[in-house]
Amino acid sequence: MNPVIEQMVKGVGGLVTLPDVFIRINQLVEDPDSTVEDIAKAINADPSFTARLLRVANSTFYSFPATVDTAARAATIIGTSQIRNLALSTSISRSFEKLPNTLVSMRNFWMHSLYCGLAARKLARMAGKCDVDAVFTAGLLHDIGELVIFNRIPEEARLALLLVQDSADELTIPEAEQEVMGFNHAEVGAELARHWKLPLMLQECIAYHHDVTKARHFPRENALVHIANILSLMAEVNTYNPDEVAQVDPLAWEITGLLADEVRQQVIEEARVEFIEAEQMFFGTGGQLNG
Amino acid sequence: MADDMGTRLSPALPGFENIKRAWHGTFETVAARLLPGQYFVTMRDEAIYTTLGSCISACIRDRMSGIGGMNHFMLPLSKEEISLKAGDISASARYGNYAMEHLINVILKNGGKRQNLEAKIFGGGRIITNMTDVGRRNIDFARDYLKTEGIEIASQDVGDIFPRMVVYFPKTGKVKVKRLRSLHNNTIAEQEIEYLSTIETKPVSGDIELF
Repeated sequence: MNPVIEQMVKGVGGLVTLPDVFIRINQLVEDPDSTVEDIAKAINADPSFTARLLRVANSTFYSFPATVDTAARAATIIGTSQIRNLALSTSISRSFEKLPNTLVSMRNFWMHSLYCGLAARKLARMAGKCDVDAVFTAGLLHDIGELVIFNRIPEEARLALLLVQDSADELTIPEAEQEVMGFNHAEVGAELARHWKLPLMLQECIAYHHDVTKARHFPRENALVHIANILSLMAEVNTYNPDEVAQVDPLAWEITGLLADEVRQQVIEEARVEFIEAEQMFFGTGGQLNG
Repeated sequence: MADDMGTRLSPALPGFENIKRAWHGTFETVAARLLPGQYFVTMRDEAIYTTLGSCISACIRDRMSGIGGMNHFMLPLSKEEISLKAGDISASARYGNYAMEHLINVILKNGGKRQNLEAKIFGGGRIITNMTDVGRRNIDFARDYLKTEGIEIASQDVGDIFPRMVVYFPKTGKVKVKRLRSLHNNTIAEQEIEYLSTIETKPVSGDIELF
């Protein structure tokens, strides 16, 4: 492990913390003796999370036939391990509020992350054989290392971005970061995810979303996040032309069994449609994404 | 970009020695990199590229001979002037006139014919949401200037909320425009603000050579 990265992640440790509700639910999900009632109690202890959870549970995001009106019912219908993902997804932007930066507005940062999460979820559903909601969370979290870099070493981060522009995109962002800093945002994000003891699947997707050959345990999920990251760039700049953004590693299509030309446009279109409602659900009404 | 190619670059036209040029692998040609306030003209088969936020670039060439170039400019802010016309003699319009005239004059001086000129314009994005739409003024100015000069706008990609990377190949007139993700907004805006501060403190000299 790179000691510079370790030091940097330790440095933000006090500022960026996982939400208590996620930590509690996480412990309960891991505990074989816990019951759905225990988890419902943990949810209810955080009224603001309870409200967000019920909102998501009753949205088109899940399209359950009946109204989900209590935490206990949500835990039963959605499933306890999904609740854990939601506790992380609906709180992650709050976790980073104390880590401001001058390079990218928080709104634009989370906009890209949310597009990636939505695209990853869609792709996961098409590809099958994976946990759709967990892949959404992985997409949402894939770039958290950037926020650490932007806050801790803004001058180097700025140089890396300028290098990308100067090269007329011959260099990718992780390549430019490597050149300026000797490491990239994916490594920093991975260290933060390890530090937080996030599930291994999330750790791998955060670490390897730029390199699909490296994920040893979750290559399928990681390949989905890799593709989703590129499609979310296309959604962000409103284009269906793959030449306008970074290229998807062909191996990622192979791993997932999806065909680029068959899914690309549909995934971008649906992510754009879902975005507005999802923004409200995950970042709160008129809240997080306004900054 | 391979720096070692720099030694083998054919020389630029006089006056453009300070523009950064290097071999570019993807374009498979030498490429000149423009910063805000700069312009570049070439007779060779090479590329010119720049990144634009609210600034605007005009790409102008002689469609018969292939000599052409690109500028990158913006009009300084002024409270009294809402819109600017090419004929205006106000200080801020003069920056636009200066950028456009220099580009056109160097093309003509090196053999371009006025009647063969075609233009393409790019940029003028509204990349910072809480700023007044300075991009719009730059677009309006460029269009009005070209109309006044009788130069046809062959294509354009302007406005909207995106920064752009524009690559121009004057020999063929081909352009690649790529919208950039918002991650680049602040660094591009920073460069433009820095450029703006230099033109606001340094007035344009009045001696523009007219053809």
